[in-house]
Amino acid sequence: MNFMLNITFYLFILCIVAYIVREVWRAKALRWIAFGILSGAFILNTALVLQRWYEANHVPMSDKYESFVFFAWSIALVYLIMELVTIFIARVHESRLGIIGALQCALSAWMLYFAINSDSTIKELPPALQSNWLVVHVINYFISYSALSISFSAAIVYLIYRAIYRGRAQEIVMSGAGSQLSRDVTFDKLAYISVTIGFPFLTVGLITGSIWAKGAWGTYWGWDPKEVWSLISWLVYLAYLHLPMFLPKTSISKSFRPILLSIVLLVAFPIVLFTFMGMHKLPTAGDSDHIYAE
Amino acid sequence: MTKATNSKGKKEKDGSKVWQFLCSVKLAVIIIIVLAVSCIVGTIILQQRTPEDYIRKYGEGLTKFFSAIQLTDIFHSYWFALLLVLLCVNLGCCTVKRWRNTILQIGFLLTHISIILTLIGCFIDLQFGEKGGVNVYEGKSVDYYLRRGDYKKIPLNFKVYCDDFLIEKHPPKYRLVSYVKDKDRQRNLPVKIGKKNKIPGSNYIVTIKDYYPDAEYLQEPINISSDPRNPAIYVQLVGSEDVAAEGWLFAKGRNWYNDPRRGLKIEYLWANNDEDFEKLIKTAGKSHRPELNIIVDEKNIHKSVIIEEGKRFSIDNTYYKIEIKEFTLDYVNRSKPLKEQSPNNPGVRVEITGPQGIDSRWSFAKYPDYWDQAHQTKYKDIKLICYVPDDFSLASKKLRIVQNKNGKQAFSYIKDEKVISITDWEINKGYDIGETGQQLQIAKYFPSYSVRKEVVRKSDNHEGHDHMPGEHVGNPAIFVEIDGPRGKVEEWVLSQSPAMWYPDKNFALLYERSGMEVKDYKSILRVVENGETVLTKTIEVNDPMKYKGYVFYQSSYDPEGEKYTGLQVTKNPGLVVVYSGFILLCVGIVFIFYVKPFLRRKLKKGQKVENYYSEDEIAAEHIEQ
Ligand code: HEM
Repeated sequence: MNFMLNITFYLFILCIVAYIVREVWRAKALRWIAFGILSGAFILNTALVLQRWYEANHVPMSDKYESFVFFAWSIALVYLIMELVTIFIARVHESRLGIIGALQCALSAWMLYFAINSDSTIKELPPALQSNWLVVHVINYFISYSALSISFSAAIVYLIYRAIYRGRAQEIVMSGAGSQLSRDVTFDKLAYISVTIGFPFLTVGLITGSIWAKGAWGTYWGWDPKEVWSLISWLVYLAYLHLPMFLPKTSISKSFRPILLSIVLLVAFPIVLFTFMGMHKLPTAGDSDHIYAE
Repeated sequence: MTKATNSKGKKEKDGSKVWQFLCSVKLAVIIIIVLAVSCIVGTIILQQRTPEDYIRKYGEGLTKFFSAIQLTDIFHSYWFALLLVLLCVNLGCCTVKRWRNTILQIGFLLTHISIILTLIGCFIDLQFGEKGGVNVYEGKSVDYYLRRGDYKKIPLNFKVYCDDFLIEKHPPKYRLVSYVKDKDRQRNLPVKIGKKNKIPGSNYIVTIKDYYPDAEYLQEPINISSDPRNPAIYVQLVGSEDVAAEGWLFAKGRNWYNDPRRGLKIEYLWANNDEDFEKLIKTAGKSHRPELNIIVDEKNIHKSVIIEEGKRFSIDNTYYKIEIKEFTLDYVNRSKPLKEQSPNNPGVRVEITGPQGIDSRWSFAKYPDYWDQAHQTKYKDIKLICYVPDDFSLASKKLRIVQNKNGKQAFSYIKDEKVISITDWEINKGYDIGETGQQLQIAKYFPSYSVRKEVVRKSDNHEGHDHMPGEHVGNPAIFVEIDGPRGKVEEWVLSQSPAMWYPDKNFALLYERSGMEVKDYKSILRVVENGETVLTKTIEVNDPMKYKGYVFYQSSYDPEGEKYTGLQVTKNPGLVVVYSGFILLCVGIVFIFYVKPFLRRKLKKGQKVENYYSEDEIAAEHIEQ
């Protein structure tokens, strides 16, 4: 059990290296090597989830250990899908997506690192967690978080490129030439696309969470710190989505707007992570029904 | 912006500046950000506490500031409500302004209207909803519940019976936890036989050596030396047929046994030499009697008298006269004859006569301050303390067993404080006790009494299926070896026993129950209206019962036993509206982000994008022109 977890962790580390190598040499063969290693890590991660499911006899996303493993899994899944879509559906031949890949693998590895260091004993589910809404709720959140993490990575890369090249249009992830895309996709645009994928899941996660709370505790919204922070995450991304309609009316220059938006994303994802795993640090954590001590 | 509006040739709804502002995304973004920030503040500052709590935590000045701008209950404050109203106004205005009957607009309309709907639903619930709880005992019913907050009884116009209440439990699980002092960190160790666990951040190594799924502590008395270091005898009182009472007596510890049923006291004494022995065996000995201590602090009076019912005396230098009215060994059973009372709660009732008349008081040996705290006493300056010796006995018959180092051993039979007979005794022989019909037998003599503790497998009748560590069972135990700064120590760690400490007292192991014990709890509820059963349902967490707008949730249980069920009662007239909002939001959002981009591709070439998109969206460059 622990052995497999460690192997998966090191495979993700290897993926980081593979993706960096792929971005440095830019050889076509390398693309598939990195992709292959990540697929391997993903398969092992799937096995971890399934094994836990079998052993614990409940859907494996109820305690810290289980959610870390599951989050790592969904990060890898969403990224893999994204890469497959760019290759086979958008038919993009030239792409810098591997940079994002390296960052996503680092995030997965980080989550597995937490998993390795947390208590992995199987715990019985308290009655409130025995609900199908919980499963829908959690899956939605993890898919959403994974997509939003891509927007975070893309925003970082965008800002770094802008700092290095100072607007000489080097920040292109996928070139539109010879593909299904009508024009080049830049990193900030990729970030925006990721948010448009992640935000609906975030919304559905919020709503299903509320419905589940109603069924289990009789209140669909109780201003519990955990609820409040998931609302905060949602509001920040909502602001991000409305900002592009508002920015053109301000005096902010056109070239600075994507920088501002990327900075919003830079703030937004840490808020998401905090909602996911930092809640016990809040002074009001003691009032919460949903926060368990570290 | 004016330029854009003109160039697009839309209906000029230039209106006032206020209208423009109320419609704008600018306001939307501002509201969203302010909301987010308020939410953050609302989870950082403690909410809904008492003023004292705030002063203690934040100091006088900050507390005043917080309550002035309602930071102590942000989510129920006026300004937060105002913010939400503003949000609705903004959403409403922009929706009205943008209203056009095109397919591509559906998402925008749905999402914005859904949020207004949700907020309206919440508002309805806040105004007209109800929330509370009630406990229903098994087999009983309620026709009310207690409102949350003020616990006011709110009547229901029907009755809810709890016909049955069940708690399902998981089989117990255990975990081995290590604890290093000052490191403030616990660690779970895997229970795998033969496994060496290095405890990170310390020098301790724990090796699991054995595991019993069901273990038992055996405590067996043993003798460890022939030197009389802790002399003990095992005494049996034999009646006409069988052993009436038996037990260990320790010369240097608890050396007496009281048998109120037979009016007999047995004591066991150790003599240092032959001379002492003679003295002890030939004297009746004085038995200690209960005493009453009277203290008058101001006059420095401290008087002590033997308690005898009916005794009267006065206290020198005061006006007080005291009479002892009643003595009991067991206050609750004080109507029984004193001889039949066991010393559970001894007390004495005293009447004090003084200048203000009679003051009658109880004074209890085990609770010396009880009476004064619970009652108004007339004479506060006088304090009574009742003292009852541990070995106090009313028995008129006494057995005194004496031994010494040189091997002398005899017992004397004492009646009414007089020695009747002296008998030498030997192990395992019966001796008549006077004319009582009882026999005394001393079954064992251990000069150096000690206890051997041993952990054994309880019942090895689990044949056929071996349990893995951590699965099922009774009272599991682990045999561990701890290697640390003071060398190796081997010991059994039993579940349900206190932590086991390494000799240096810096490291401990605990084998404790882990995980949720309660699997589920269910109540069978029955609704009775006008004498007729109208609904029966088994509710459990996540599966409530609905009746006449009320919803009954399984929310808690009787922690001791399963006598009552805890129900949460709610009434949410706005729920339909809220849920409609939720559904519309889901549909709208899926439309905006997943349907619209594909529909757009299918636009006929000739049609201009502007017919389908607002100038804002085009300006935002999110669509490919
Ligand atoms: C899940 C929630 C939301 C989604 C998906 C959403 C989506 C959109 C979209 C697609 C537009 C552009 C529509 C168009 O101009 O044709 C828009 C505009 C707008 N939204 Fe939202 N919105 C959401 C929530 C909100 C909230 C909570 C507010 C209010 C605070 C808001 C205020 C506005 C405003 C003021 C506009 C401006 C349109 C204009 O320029 O007149 N939206 N929204």
